[in-house]
Amino acid sequence: MFVERLPDEGPGDQHTEVSVINTVDTSHEDMIHDAQMDYYGTRLATCSSDRSVKIFDVRNGGQILIADLRGHEGPVWQVAWAHPMYGNILASCSYDRKVIIWKEENGTWEKTHEHTGHDSSVNSVCWAPHDYGLILACGSSDGAISLLTYTGEGQWEVKKINNAHTIGCNAVSWAPAVVPGSLIDQPSGQKPNYIKKFASGGCDNLVKLWKEEEDGQWKEEQKLEAHSDWVRDVAWAPSIGLPTSTIASCSQDGRVFIWTCDDASGNTWSPKLLHKFNDVVWHVSWSITANILAVSGGDNKVTLWKESVDGQWVCISDVNKGQGSVSTSVTEGQQNEQ
Amino acid sequence: MEELDGEPTVTLIPGVNSSKKQMCFDWGPGEMLVCETSFNKKEKSETVPGCPFIYIIRKDVDVYSQILRKLFNESHGIFVGLQRIEEELTGKSRKAQLVRVSKNYRSVIRACMEEMHQVATGPLLLHLLDWVRLHVCEVDNLLADVLGSENPRKHESFWKLVTILVLQGRLDEARQMLSKEADSSPTSAGMCRILGDLMRTMPVLSPGTTQTLTELELKWQHWHEECERHLQDGTFASSPHLESLCKIMLGDEAALLEQKELLNNWYHFLVTRLLYSHPTVKPIDLHFYAQSSLDLFLGGESSPEPLDNILMAAFEFDIHQVIKECSIALSNWWFVAHLTDLLDHCKLLQSHNLYFGSNMREFLLLEYASGLFAHHSLWQLGVDYFDYCPELGRVSLELHIERIPLSTEQKALKVLRICEQRQMTEQVRSICKILAMKAVRNNRLGSALSWSIRAKDAAFATLVSDRFLRDYCERGCFSDLDLIDNLGPAMMLSDRLTFLGKYREFHRLYGEKRFVDAASLLLSLMTSQIAPRSFWMTLLTDALPLLEQKQVIFSAEQTYELMRCLEDLTSGRPVHGEPDAQRLQDDDIETTKVEMLRLALARNLARAIIKEGSLEGS
Repeated sequence: MFVERLPDEGPGDQHTEVSVINTVDTSHEDMIHDAQMDYYGTRLATCSSDRSVKIFDVRNGGQILIADLRGHEGPVWQVAWAHPMYGNILASCSYDRKVIIWKEENGTWEKTHEHTGHDSSVNSVCWAPHDYGLILACGSSDGAISLLTYTGEGQWEVKKINNAHTIGCNAVSWAPAVVPGSLIDQPSGQKPNYIKKFASGGCDNLVKLWKEEEDGQWKEEQKLEAHSDWVRDVAWAPSIGLPTSTIASCSQDGRVFIWTCDDASGNTWSPKLLHKFNDVVWHVSWSITANILAVSGGDNKVTLWKESVDGQWVCISDVNKGQGSVSTSVTEGQQNEQ
Repeated sequence: MEELDGEPTVTLIPGVNSSKKQMCFDWGPGEMLVCETSFNKKEKSETVPGCPFIYIIRKDVDVYSQILRKLFNESHGIFVGLQRIEEELTGKSRKAQLVRVSKNYRSVIRACMEEMHQVATGPLLLHLLDWVRLHVCEVDNLLADVLGSENPRKHESFWKLVTILVLQGRLDEARQMLSKEADSSPTSAGMCRILGDLMRTMPVLSPGTTQTLTELELKWQHWHEECERHLQDGTFASSPHLESLCKIMLGDEAALLEQKELLNNWYHFLVTRLLYSHPTVKPIDLHFYAQSSLDLFLGGESSPEPLDNILMAAFEFDIHQVIKECSIALSNWWFVAHLTDLLDHCKLLQSHNLYFGSNMREFLLLEYASGLFAHHSLWQLGVDYFDYCPELGRVSLELHIERIPLSTEQKALKVLRICEQRQMTEQVRSICKILAMKAVRNNRLGSALSWSIRAKDAAFATLVSDRFLRDYCERGCFSDLDLIDNLGPAMMLSDRLTFLGKYREFHRLYGEKRFVDAASLLLSLMTSQIAPRSFWMTLLTDALPLLEQKQVIFSAEQTYELMRCLEDLTSGRPVHGEPDAQRLQDDDIETTKVEMLRLALARNLARAIIKEGSLEGS
């Protein structure tokens, strides 16, 4: 990664100011569990323990409620936007063991599909790269991962990986699409043969990598072992054209690992410890150009990390909860009264 | 983990500060979302209501500043011009070009600062702004003010003004002011004249003279001694103002420090100090004086601020340090990115540090350009910056450009043009697909078709063509005729599209009464297998009016072919993937149609045989 070539104390890897540019009042009546921006940053989807999924138009600093979607019978844990080429489609998963796919038709949002194939809470949903078609991966507390593929005319085909993780699966994340071979003169109408892969994290303390075989079945390709407690989240970094693949994982054990694989050599993944936090680390997420990793900790903070020249990960910013008015670059310990 | 210079910046987000809650977050294309949550998922959450707010946060909010917008636009032009400077230019001409670039940047910055002076601004460049306000704008305003007043020397700011002018080394103007004082006050006239003379005679280094530094040094010493003598003799004793001015001109530190408020900052103090005590200072020694000036000026009362650190690094000619300090102090990558780029073109980065060289340049440009993409129109500037980043520019552009909301057709075309110019075929395909699907959903088939053609997406073109054909079957006419008529070579993109184009051509030929040509085309559509089986019935039905014309249009041979097609279609032979053929047999209406066709074909065959058999030939 380019950032590796920076000098030890290079610019930009130490201080980043951020400012609040908009505050959206979701009016959720209970805890919010997820908030996701759509592809273009124009719409915001949120979901909550109040069992609803809400969609807002947030262009130009505004907030207009577009939809208040009801259908789940329990807290909704995650939402995920599909790629815009398929239209406006949103997936949500819930404690009620269901995955619902919502679609905007003629200006109104409706439930377009409901998947009830799990025996327990569905914890995570993630859309595959659009190049593969419209495919949704779902991870559940019943330990299984299901893959829903849209086949047309309102039909969805289901493939299930049972016992993907013992006790439960907490997170799923797709690898970016890598077009195999050369792109020169693809015969028209034919789809290139993508090798589809995704990563999952579970209560067996493992990160697992899955690959679709030629017969369409999903096989466990790799087990990544380094955590000593439940893996809470995995995030496969977007591709920036380099041959290395990168995955971030975080766990109940307070550790965040960065896994890298030099694709030239094949399937050797090496972990590097980003940091050991004092509490459970729940969530990790890559920026779209993959140069910043955001990590949410149990200690009420979100920290931003970047890789520096010698491969060390450096914390560049700290987004913290606090009382009072919004201020930027306030040193820790100071708080302004509103 | 390595040592950090300081703690990372902390941003506090307001919200209910409960120790049980955490912060949930995610990335948008150009921003981050944070909100309060509890990750420990339980079915029943606490009865205490959560905080319903989602905070959208972003770096580089300066990109939305109206004033900076002009700066971004103009510096973009200078940047691109710099990249295009001929590589072959060496030595003097190249250097001259680079200096010009630097001057251009400086004038753009200055224009921006002057504009900022007019308007209330945010934190950016606050310190430099103060300096500009005082040293350029305010002074000139004050000068005009005082000179324009009825009795300048009685103006309350008269002496303040003269002092500032002396501090800034603007001795000619200061002398002018003094002469006004001299004219109107006989008692101080003499003193004013003497001081004025001293001002006039101060040796300065002027470009283009043949004077050497040593000569200047000598002259200056003499002048300095003369000033000193006047001071000792008490020439100005009766005017505290004039005496103070003389001390300033002698570079007296105490006198200078008395004017702290007018100097406003330590680097002005430095400059004035050097002007009047070490005018021939060498660059190498600059940082000594800089450090001591900083220390003297602050006097232990306050500590250096980030901007001070930048300047200190600059005085030490430590480019690396300057860049680093800028990155820390400034809220936006604009300055450090353009500066580093210029330094790199001057080949200064490499000579100072073999470690990173132009990679540093690219890193900073990438950061700056990414920031521009957060803006709904400035992103276009960002494109050029990415273009000039050889390592990661292209892939960064690919990732960012796909996220531009395609709110209008114009914007979509603009984005596409940029992608096409750079052969970013994946992005073109993806964007066209998005637009094509949107068009299909809104039933704008013509638009959908053109987008799929532009994307060279055969599968989608087939899909849209099918929709066209279906529409035709339902309504009996085509929409978007213009487009289909003018497909040209694009028709070859997919078989279905070719069929659509040819089928439309058939209708056109028929409309022009070129029946024989139309007939041949119609038949060939079936025999060449271009027409999907499901459409054959429609085609055969289209043949009916041609079969029932007074004149014989289809030849006997052609009629046999048509009959063969009809029998093929109705024979019930399993054709894979085409269930329609099977259904034909069961449908009453279809049966009638088939009967009609058989009759028409038989009659035509008869007429054709007769016509071909008779003397006139076929």
